[in-house]
Amino acid sequence: MTQEKITISNTIRTLRFGAGEMTQQELADRVGVSRQTINAIEASKYSPSLEVAFRISRVFGKRLDEVFECRAKPR
Amino acid sequence: MSMSFEEKSVWIQLGAMTLSLGTYFVIAGQMLASGVREAIAFATVFMVAVVIMVVLLIGSYVVAALTSKVEGRDERDRLIAWKAEHRSSWLTAAGVLGAVTCIAAGVDNVWTANLLLLTLALSEVLGFVLQIAYYRRGV
Repeated sequence: MTQEKITISNTIRTLRFGAGEMTQQELADRVGVSRQTINAIEASKYSPSLEVAFRISRVFGKRLDEVFECRAKPR
Repeated sequence: MSMSFEEKSVWIQLGAMTLSLGTYFVIAGQMLASGVREAIAFATVFMVAVVIMVVLLIGSYVVAALTSKVEGRDERDRLIAWKAEHRSSWLTAAGVLGAVTCIAAGVDNVWTANLLLLTLALSEVLGFVLQIAYYRRGV
């Protein structure tokens, strides 16, 4: 079975700066994860669970697909 | 990127275990090579190594707690721990199989016990190394 390679990018950094230059620590506290996890998500080194993804979206008052983007490439 | 308390904790455990048990296995290896076969001699050295490891862990955790924000594990920490354990536990299984084979083959008990201890320690060390790699490279 051939699977597509999924890459998840996000606009969290842009959204943070648009929200009064919110720090990673502030976002982490509101979402309930560590600052390093927010950093890893921003750098696309970690794909969050749906729950955390929704929490991040709610902090910025955006829809999930306005924060996270999924690109698929054939392997 | 600064380290979270959880990542520091992994480094602390790796350092303490490598130092204390590494020293134990060097000494135990020399004892085995020189013909020592009394289990109590190995148990004494092992107990000293465990005490050193506990002291190192307590001291390091106190320093880490004083110098960084102590946060609970989040989902990324749990995923990293699970993945690392999943990929390192085969070493423990191999050690148990090796120990059973040694018992069946009538190998001296101190050799068997040390083989089992070595594979348990190596499995833990591999788990810590994998966790650090996942923290650094991404998971």
